[in-house]
Amino acid sequence: MGQADAFETDFWKDANLRKLWDDIVPGEPRKTIPYTLTQQAIALYCKSVGEDHPVYFDEAYARTTRYGGLIAPPSIHILLMFSCTPADDWMRSPGTVNAGQSWSYNIPARPNDVITLSARALDKFIKRERLFVVHDNVFFNQHGDVICSGRGWTIRPM
Amino acid sequence: MSAITFENLAEGDTIDGPKFEVSRESIRLFCDASLDYNPLHLDDDFMKGNFGKTNFGGIIMHGMNNFGLISRMITDWAYPAGAIHRRLETRWVKPVRPGDTIQPTGLIKSKLATAKSRWVLIDVMVRNQGGEKVATGEAMVEFPR
Repeated sequence: MGQADAFETDFWKDANLRKLWDDIVPGEPRKTIPYTLTQQAIALYCKSVGEDHPVYFDEAYARTTRYGGLIAPPSIHILLMFSCTPADDWMRSPGTVNAGQSWSYNIPARPNDVITLSARALDKFIKRERLFVVHDNVFFNQHGDVICSGRGWTIRPM
Repeated sequence: MSAITFENLAEGDTIDGPKFEVSRESIRLFCDASLDYNPLHLDDDFMKGNFGKTNFGGIIMHGMNNFGLISRMITDWAYPAGAIHRRLETRWVKPVRPGDTIQPTGLIKSKLATAKSRWVLIDVMVRNQGGEKVATGEAMVEFPR
């Protein structure tokens, strides 16, 4: 499975290290880690949602497109959110429920990009007795170019 | 159908996305591909518990799997037209479970030309096999001049 072998898949293991809703400070940066996006990881992501466009797989075809080479699908940030954050990040807290997300796309991520994330909680609030946190995120490539930026709403475990 | 261009797109035009059969295996594959191993998607015992006022009753698909399917629909529609998927906003309306079959669709809502480019706004939604909405949102696609 490649990438999963080097990744802690038991989200309970570090649960006691993660911030609760009470601890999260809006505006405070989250810890992040650089991640090298491999063609293998792109292919696995594509398989999981049925992406089969040749711009993700066929180098000769991709060179003929506006992108000039292989790219990752825009929604690769779904993987990047977990690959660019450490095991104690509160996004991994078991029971975290995703309520919605919005993402803007600038340039595509590419195989072998070294991707960094700038992320923080932006807001937290209580609505209908549920604990919400809004997080915002910007992914950059190794040249400092913005790949995409996004915001998400999660319901935190009680 | 003729090739899609900014000029010939009209409000109310539709986009049909891919049907997707949800199973424990597809959810597990999405865990491996996204590195999101939240027990919401893996652990039936955990899911017997309550989440505030909500009880899901069993594992559920990642909400972002909906997002990935909608994004796939948008790019597969935009690439042949030379257009660029620029934005996607989604909200999850209803949980999706193993055994469900879901399908994203799009509805052209409006077009706008700005100083340097041209934009199409698309209402998107995902429905399950019963026709129930499980996700809704809006996409924005750029048609460069």
